[in-house]
Amino acid sequence: MTQTSKSSKAKRGLSLLAGLGLALAASQPALAQTGKTYAFPGIPDNSVEKFGGPQGVHNWVESLFYYIMLDNRINWIFSEFGNVERQIMLNTQLEQMVLGGNVEYQGASMAAAHADLGITMGQFNAVVEAAYSACERVHTPYHTCNQLIAALAPFTFDIVTR
Amino acid sequence: MTGFREGSLRRWLGGAAVSAALLASTSASAEWFNSDKVFLTGGVVTTDGSGGGGITPWATISGYGTRDGINGGLHYTWVYLPDYTLNSYGVTVGFFDRLELSYTNSVLPTGGTFDTVGLAVSALGGAGTGIEPWNTTIKMDVFGAKLRLFGDAVYNSHSLIPQVAIGGFYKKNRNAALLETLQAADDTDWEAYVSATKIFFPVSTLINVTARYTSANQIGLTGFGGPDGNDKEVRLEGSIAYLLNKQFAIGGEYQQHGDNLDNKSVKLGALDLTGLTGLLGGLGNSLTQLEESDWYDLFFAYAPSKNFSMTFAYAMLGNITLTPDQSGFYLSLHATF
Ligand code: HEM
Repeated sequence: MTQTSKSSKAKRGLSLLAGLGLALAASQPALAQTGKTYAFPGIPDNSVEKFGGPQGVHNWVESLFYYIMLDNRINWIFSEFGNVERQIMLNTQLEQMVLGGNVEYQGASMAAAHADLGITMGQFNAVVEAAYSACERVHTPYHTCNQLIAALAPFTFDIVTR
Repeated sequence: MTGFREGSLRRWLGGAAVSAALLASTSASAEWFNSDKVFLTGGVVTTDGSGGGGITPWATISGYGTRDGINGGLHYTWVYLPDYTLNSYGVTVGFFDRLELSYTNSVLPTGGTFDTVGLAVSALGGAGTGIEPWNTTIKMDVFGAKLRLFGDAVYNSHSLIPQVAIGGFYKKNRNAALLETLQAADDTDWEAYVSATKIFFPVSTLINVTARYTSANQIGLTGFGGPDGNDKEVRLEGSIAYLLNKQFAIGGEYQQHGDNLDNKSVKLGALDLTGLTGLLGGLGNSLTQLEESDWYDLFFAYAPSKNFSMTFAYAMLGNITLTPDQSGFYLSLHATF
């Protein structure tokens, strides 16, 4: 998971341009967020399918943000610095991709997107709790949910910066 | 929760020497308090009082504190065996997901064979053996410290590197007379261990491996070393836990034990009865200690909330001093803040 942090500032500026965000981010240089995550002993190939396909992953991301925005520990970060609609769209791509789906992720690298947010371990864990709640909400079984947790876990080291 | 400014203060505190935090811990404010780990990732508490499984310490720091705060817990453990009941209670405190300090008091009333031996010993006019009929109790204080060296048991799923910690216990057994009778070399000693712990999310399984440098007999409940001296050795332990869902885990554990007191007689007063046990007829076998067994357990942990977990286990502890087949029920309650 090596990323170039030099694009961090540019990224940050870009993401603020919510309307143009997608088009501009898509034109960014190659990012490390490409392809399925390697996690020992391996994420099964049918994981996207088990999540209910692209629509199922989208539903999961929708409920993820529902729980995030209800969590008073972290919702203010997203209100202040985020763009929930755009993040739902980009996370739907990212989650499929890291689970092995044949989808291109068009957003910023995890390091770049979160570099200036000063996210703590506790805030990251709050998002993980929202992730499990979201799995329950969309009836994705716990063990399938853990494939996604395995796929996203390594981003911790890019996202948590304090 | 907290603004960025407060956040950087906490970061500074986390980065500062943990000893500074320790000195100031009496004035720990709400800002230092932290309970933001994910469900069950704080583990439960071992019979030695450290964060881990039921008998084996893990590399995880007990409690729900992240690297930004302090968290702790209280626990009570009850093990109900045919001839013994272990009651232990204690406290653990985790500092910045880096250092764990613990204290546990274990009380082990014995029954069965110890009563028989106690009666016989009284009849023979023995005194000061530490074995009294109906009333033989072993008490032990265990002080523990653990330092996480590197790794992340939870989030490092893309590599095989586990979370690794080193730790130690200082154990003080308070029934010195009984330990002398059992021919243990010491009633007070230390142990050191290194633990490696990792969760494999794709298979929802946690694996822990521990190597402990120790000379303990029955984790120190029957002292340290034997008549041939008190030499430490490395013994292996392991835990495997399968996460059924975010609140339930099932698993098993193994703990290698030593042989310091195997086939040793009990020593009554100044008299070693190794050659005499035959004269005591039916009691003879009762006076020779059995070969100490390795410990096993099968457990089931349930955390109804972040503040409370219960661990139920079937503990298979085998031969304990004079008594065989010590298998029984284990219950541990752990409250965190
Ligand atoms: C594994 C966990 C996480 C994943 C997969 C993730 C994913 C993403 C993605 C895909 C974006 C959009 C990037 C872009 O706009 O190009 C994003 C942005 C953002 N994320 Fe996360 N994120 C995670 C954890 C967190 C956490 C823990 C927080 C805060 C508590 C957070 C807060 C934000 C915010 C505020 C933005 C918007 C940044 C901006 O537009 O400048 N994220 N994240």
